[in-house]
Amino acid sequence: MAGVLREWLFTTDHKKVGILYLIGSVAAFAVAGIMALLMRAELSAPGPTITANPSQYNVWLYFHGAAMILGFQIPALTGFLANYLVPLQIGAKDVAFPRLNALSVWLFFAGIILALLTFVLPDPPDVMWTGYPPYSEITQGNTAFYSFTVLLLGFASILGGVNFLTTIAFMRAPGMGWNQLNIFTWSVFAAFILQLIFVPVLGTAVTMIMFDKYLGTNFFDPTQGGDVLIYQNLFWFYSHPAVYVIFLPFIGIVFDIVATFARNRIFNYKMVVYGGIGGILLLAGEVWIHHLYVTGMPDWLRVGQMVTTLMISVPVGLMFIGLVGTLYKGSITFNTPMLYALSVIFLMLIGGLTGIPLAVASIDINLSDSYFIPGHFHYVMAVAGTFAIFGGIYYLFPKMTGRMYNEKLGKTSFWITFVGVNLVFFPMMMAGLEGMPRRYWDYSQFPQVEGLHHLMTAGAVLVAIGFFLALVNWIQALFKGQPAGNNPWGSRSLEWTTASPPQHGNFPEIPMLSKDWSPYAYGSSQ
Amino acid sequence: MSDHAAVHEHAEEVSIWPAVISIGILFAVPFAFSFHFVYHNGLYAALSLGLGVPMIVMGIVGWVYEALHSEPVAEGLAPPAMGWFILAEALIFLSFFATYWVVRLGAPVWPPEGTVELPKLMPLVMTTVLVTSSFTIHFAEGRLAQGDRRGFINWLILSMLLGLAFISMSAYEWNHLLHEGFTPATNIFGTAFYTITGFHGAHVIVGLGIFTAMLLPALRGQVNEGLVKSGSLYWHFVDIIWFFVVSQVYFWV
Ligand code: HEM
Ligand SMILES: [Cu+2]
Repeated sequence: MAGVLREWLFTTDHKKVGILYLIGSVAAFAVAGIMALLMRAELSAPGPTITANPSQYNVWLYFHGAAMILGFQIPALTGFLANYLVPLQIGAKDVAFPRLNALSVWLFFAGIILALLTFVLPDPPDVMWTGYPPYSEITQGNTAFYSFTVLLLGFASILGGVNFLTTIAFMRAPGMGWNQLNIFTWSVFAAFILQLIFVPVLGTAVTMIMFDKYLGTNFFDPTQGGDVLIYQNLFWFYSHPAVYVIFLPFIGIVFDIVATFARNRIFNYKMVVYGGIGGILLLAGEVWIHHLYVTGMPDWLRVGQMVTTLMISVPVGLMFIGLVGTLYKGSITFNTPMLYALSVIFLMLIGGLTGIPLAVASIDINLSDSYFIPGHFHYVMAVAGTFAIFGGIYYLFPKMTGRMYNEKLGKTSFWITFVGVNLVFFPMMMAGLEGMPRRYWDYSQFPQVEGLHHLMTAGAVLVAIGFFLALVNWIQALFKGQPAGNNPWGSRSLEWTTASPPQHGNFPEIPMLSKDWSPYAYGSSQ
Repeated sequence: MSDHAAVHEHAEEVSIWPAVISIGILFAVPFAFSFHFVYHNGLYAALSLGLGVPMIVMGIVGWVYEALHSEPVAEGLAPPAMGWFILAEALIFLSFFATYWVVRLGAPVWPPEGTVELPKLMPLVMTTVLVTSSFTIHFAEGRLAQGDRRGFINWLILSMLLGLAFISMSAYEWNHLLHEGFTPATNIFGTAFYTITGFHGAHVIVGLGIFTAMLLPALRGQVNEGLVKSGSLYWHFVDIIWFFVVSQVYFWV
């Protein structure tokens, strides 16, 4: 027993590291989800309900936002899925630096531990996930813990980036060219380039608030020549691209799932990779100022940002065409992973289309800091990303465990969650249009949105039930699931050509690939 | 025989040092900082440091020796990996410099009130020392490539001495300025000056740490070439950043 524990906790094997990331990030998801339920309980009726202390709501909101993004989605996508899949998809024995990989996952654990201490600290951080000064510098709360959580998780990401970019660039199986990579591997490559460029900027920003608050520096203190807006710029300089750090791998796994279950080649592969992924890489760093429309800025900047932001819909649109084209004339089976993947297309459509008006400064100035904003970003990133991650977990479940989950329970849980999220987030956008401001713990002043709040709370309960059923399904299948075989989905991609679970070193021997090999060669004899 | 192979493979799949280092960092940095600055509990802060720092050192030593005794998954990938890492590092400095440029160009008067005259000679000496050390580490690498371990060690030690001299001068100068009443809290220039030079100095110290990790095994006849190549790449990077520090912080008046 001790031996098994040692082998897992201190492992350097990318598959086990991936599963450690999975466990850690799902734990973060569960706790952050409980925070969401607490917020929804507080908002179930106007006036104080489960707490009479507004700062308590701030702490929940802080933990929910920070843990969902930094502790769940980014680690689940670039930690769990990337670790598990990338070396297998490129036909490598492991990542380039296995020990560094173990360091990444342990720094991630350290970050999660720090975040969880929120619940036992005397003055927990209450700075939302954005940590804006001046509030973060004058609050009683422990802003240092916010900064250090971001720094630890960021450091883990940077080391992950160093490792994976090197791995993908230099360790592909003999014969595998760049145009033969899975879309998922491509998306991880792009996401890590973004992480390497932008995470350090966030790290610097949160370091500055910590220095200001505890060491007496003046970065954001206008009375000493500092400037508060510098923080907002640095923060969004990272946090807008962070949306793509989440978006790229989640759309990447959706591509792989869709191709497998539609039995089709990726439609317009090169357009998806160079136009879609490449286009996003190019534009990611040029649009952050759309988060600052309500601060004073010259009009040419507002208009310029409007243009670049709207331009993002071009690469996203190319990916959309790629997905729909891959479905077209496919022979589709609707297993649980596929349901999740298809729902991501739908959720992204709603989230993406509601984002277009927000790119327009004159509209955004009115909707900024209203409930429309969390409604929009939960659709486009939070929920779409989570559904892609869940789809990915179901998709890889037979590979990771050698066993099959319960398909019927999987589908039931999917539909419950799907109905639930729409009940939460569609009304959330409507409440925003009705004037409900973001980050309020009480809406007595806005009686017009009470009915919508009831819907949202009911939806949140459904979501919780749905996710809980998924968890039950996995745990049950882990012990009692039917043997799944090596390739239950009939995929052509390399990860499915080896044993389930793959042995140490992944392949009995490293695959040699021909020039016209493709991970998506359906319909051709291979 | 097959038994032996299995045991060997096992040994490579597991390493406790990453965990030791991470937990060490958790104690030495967030915990120690918070106990001291947030909760004003000096004893716990000292205990956290006392626990964390040895864990980090132990972890790094264990890691370096483990790496010397195991086969890498792939050869020769350390320098490109260091390249990616340097990209991230460069962005840290870019953020600090960008902040500095924005406040400086937006300031009604510069330098802001309370700023003292910065020395001019010292930074020039420091520049000379650091540039020289970039050359010496390059020579060290060259010696190693020719199989001359003795020469490698000598040039490496010289580079480390130069790095130490640099850090000492930096400490001397900080001390001097602080005594004149110019602190990070004085004004926005104090803030920028101490954070930028401080972060750069921290990078020099990390570089010295890497050099130590090259030197100690080398004295016993073991050299990890990937570490040497990427370590010297890192050192050159730190050197280049110093040019920005000197020109932007000291000589742009
Ligand atoms: C699926 C169930 C979820 C529910 C019921 C839920 C609910 C909520 C609620 C009620 C708020 C507070 C709105 C406000 O007071 O302004 C919120 C904020 C937020 N949520 Fe979620 N959420 C869920 C999932 C997620 C996920 C998966 C993410 C991952 C990215 C996420 C990220 C955020 C962020 C970043 C905020 C803003 C925090 C801030 O204002 O600083 N949420 N969510
Ligand atoms: Cu944005």
